[in-house]
Amino acid sequence: MPTAPFNEASETLLQHAEKQLVTGERIIVRLHTDLDWNLHFHAGLMVLTNIRLLHVEMGHFHAWRLAEIQELKLEEMGATAAIHLMQSDASIWHWRITSGHLREVEAFLAKFKEQLGTVSADVETVDDEEDLFSEEEPAIVPSTSKPLVRLFKFSRQWYKLMLLGFVLTVASTASGLVGPWLTMSLVDEVLIPLQTANNEVLVGRVLHFMLMLAGAALVTWILQWATTYVISRVAERVTSHMRRATFEHLQKLSLTYFNKKRTGDLISRIGSDTDNISLFISVNFIDFACDVLTILFTAVILFTLNPMLAFAAIGPLPIVAWLVQWVRSHLRGGFAASSRAWSAMNSVLSDTIPGVRVVKAFAQEQREIDRFREQDQQIFDTNDRVNRTWSFFEPTISLLTDFGLLIIWSVGAWSIAGGNTTVGVLTGFVLYVGRFYGKLENMSRFVASAQRAASSAHRIFDILDVKPDMPITSGMRKVGRLSGEIEFRGIKFRHGSRQIIRGIDLKIAPGEMIGLVGPSGAGKTTLVNLACRFFDVSEGAVLVDGHDLRDIDVVDYRRNLGLVLQEPYLFFGTIAENIAYGKPDATKAEIMAAAKAARAHDFILKLADAYDSMVGERGQQLSGGERQRISIARALLINPAILILDEATSSVDTETEREIQAALDHLIKGRTTIAIAHRLGTLRKANRLVVVENGVISEIGTHEDLMSRSGTYARLHEAMVEVNQA
Amino acid sequence: MTDLISILQQPDVRPIRLFPLTEPAHWVSILDAKGQEIVCIEDPTKLDASERAALDAALAKRHFVPVIRRVLTITRAPDGFDWLVETDRGTTTFRIETDESIQSLGGGRLVIIDKLGTRYLVPKITDLDRDSRRKLERYY
Ligand SMILES: Nc1ncnc2c1ncn2[C@@H]1O[C@H](COP(=O)(O)OP(=O)(O)O)[C@@H](O)[C@H]1O
Ligand SMILES: [Mg+2]
Repeated sequence: MPTAPFNEASETLLQHAEKQLVTGERIIVRLHTDLDWNLHFHAGLMVLTNIRLLHVEMGHFHAWRLAEIQELKLEEMGATAAIHLMQSDASIWHWRITSGHLREVEAFLAKFKEQLGTVSADVETVDDEEDLFSEEEPAIVPSTSKPLVRLFKFSRQWYKLMLLGFVLTVASTASGLVGPWLTMSLVDEVLIPLQTANNEVLVGRVLHFMLMLAGAALVTWILQWATTYVISRVAERVTSHMRRATFEHLQKLSLTYFNKKRTGDLISRIGSDTDNISLFISVNFIDFACDVLTILFTAVILFTLNPMLAFAAIGPLPIVAWLVQWVRSHLRGGFAASSRAWSAMNSVLSDTIPGVRVVKAFAQEQREIDRFREQDQQIFDTNDRVNRTWSFFEPTISLLTDFGLLIIWSVGAWSIAGGNTTVGVLTGFVLYVGRFYGKLENMSRFVASAQRAASSAHRIFDILDVKPDMPITSGMRKVGRLSGEIEFRGIKFRHGSRQIIRGIDLKIAPGEMIGLVGPSGAGKTTLVNLACRFFDVSEGAVLVDGHDLRDIDVVDYRRNLGLVLQEPYLFFGTIAENIAYGKPDATKAEIMAAAKAARAHDFILKLADAYDSMVGERGQQLSGGERQRISIARALLINPAILILDEATSSVDTETEREIQAALDHLIKGRTTIAIAHRLGTLRKANRLVVVENGVISEIGTHEDLMSRSGTYARLHEAMVEVNQA
Repeated sequence: MTDLISILQQPDVRPIRLFPLTEPAHWVSILDAKGQEIVCIEDPTKLDASERAALDAALAKRHFVPVIRRVLTITRAPDGFDWLVETDRGTTTFRIETDESIQSLGGGRLVIIDKLGTRYLVPKITDLDRDSRRKLERYY
């Protein structure tokens, strides 16, 4: 989290704290605070030792003996929190901290409570100091070097092809330079003598030159062909590898990541950004290599021909170099903005098209058109900005070329008059210099595409650099088939600074069915998400068959899980493929058995292609209840040990619900089941009902138990009966 | 609404702005300890002076959206970007993870949400100095 200056400050504070320790005093845990009492940023440090609580900030130090502290009280205040030091029920001191650190704060307070307990019991603890910040530092620090350098490293594995491409580039460039050289001799040895003396026409010599020129052109043609092909191949390889790597990496990231990202942005990164890179490597990079070589070769040739002329010719070069630098810095921001504009446009598309029914229902087509137009205008504007810079740059380089030629002509004329040069050499010179500046112009184009590729590469590496916060490592414990015991042991969970689960203890026996009820927003979905390990708990542990979820192989564990959600998600494909999603090698008989058990067989029969019917994107061509039954069949097919039903029947009509209910009754047999439902009738088979309110369990028991207790459950039940009678 | 002051004095009662970014001056809701709304105030300026002072004090205690005055550096970090900025609450650094962490509210207003969920505000980009704008330009 904190970077250089703040890290330093924390280090210094820690050293201060250490100096204040008395003999026999040990640091147990510490907490860095980032605000002062006026909510200004200010580094502070709370240190808990075995006997005291210390407060350290620059120039200040306070200490309280643990015996004189009543308690530390946490007060959450939105974006910030306060920790009050309580003495005889009054706050005598407090600390402020941004809410992002609440997890550390809670851990600190837990340690504090523990320590306060041991002090009063007069027992010495011997556990070592714990650094609450240790997990903040990523284990592997990905390189943050320049994106183009990383792009190069990324393509390292195709070095053979790249080498071949390079050799071909050198050869084709060199052969391209033979032409002007021959022209020079042609002028001096054939044309000039032809004009001045009345020599007879040397047909043989002319023919010889023509053949050589034609030969050079042919060789250049073949070499360029080969070069382009080889390099394009490398480019395709690199970008295809890049696309795959990015997608593979995305699959490893947790829900937390996807919750924050826009689909359109990811699509744009994997699609158009890799395309920019491909174009850069295949077209621009090879051009650039050719250009550099040409320029070098030409410079050498120019200087061997006539050093003075050469000096004159490359006079404007420093100006060009300065121009390139200027343009570079202007383009960089422009291209980044352009890529972002593309992302934004894709996001509008991926937002509007799936939501087209809502758009039409609310007659907001025009608004979406405007939204799209606005994003498109953004693209236009950013590109326009780039083009403005660009349109100035190219003609300027041309102008400088013309100046260069002008210098050559005048210096050349003067040299010929002085007898230092021949007309042939001057002609050759003009040809070479033209080429020289032409290449410079190309190179400047390269600057633009390199800048674009760099900003694209950057956006790709952005994804690749995200460390999966729930590493799927194969070295972890494999569990195989579970019996299905689940235990939530003192779990707490936060979404950002909001505490969603505030401490839940629940043990579910293998084969037991638990019905989770409670008002919406109580944290029921969050609880099952934790059981699926879509997120990790902030405190406590989830255990399955006695293993901590964090210790077992996620992929292996999830094979034991069947999940039916309120919003069934079907993939583009056939019904059979969708049912067999969790077990692609299922036989047709298995698929049908699952569909029958899920009461889906009957409606599938009525479809045009039965099990081979396409369901459209997200299953658009099926009704809600039909989609739901397919997703139940999907869960059933993998024969899971643990079954999770999150409002699986909430969004369908009563008739369909009855169908689905029958399907579910079949599904829950012999499995540990956690079912969330609003219609309490759905849970009549549950062994126990658990009422969750505000992130804690408020009631547990059978239907009869809870009804007799006339608490929340009884109230919910009453409300439901009323609704049904109305 | 005469009892507003006494309401605010109850333990764990808290005022929240309903439109903290788009309309911070209006619509303040006062919640009880359980998060239920006790009262909702459309226009705090219509309160009498003492009530207003009590409300403002209670809001100020909870309000924390640093306003960025200057962007000093933005550097690439392993998982995002580290920003070093000067705010109305002093100089600080934070890390943002994705492009989505910077939201444009229109009219040149930007909200930046860091990795830990703290919000930072840029009231108007054009009011920033040239150097800061240049640095920002690449990210929103
Ligand atoms: N990704 C998220 N980020 C922040 N808050 C969330 C997120 N998902 C859910 N919440 C919040 O967590 C609370 C509990 O949500 P949930 O578990 O879905 O409730 P329910 O009991 O209705 O299933 C809700 O108040 C919701 O706003
Ligand atoms: Mg839910």
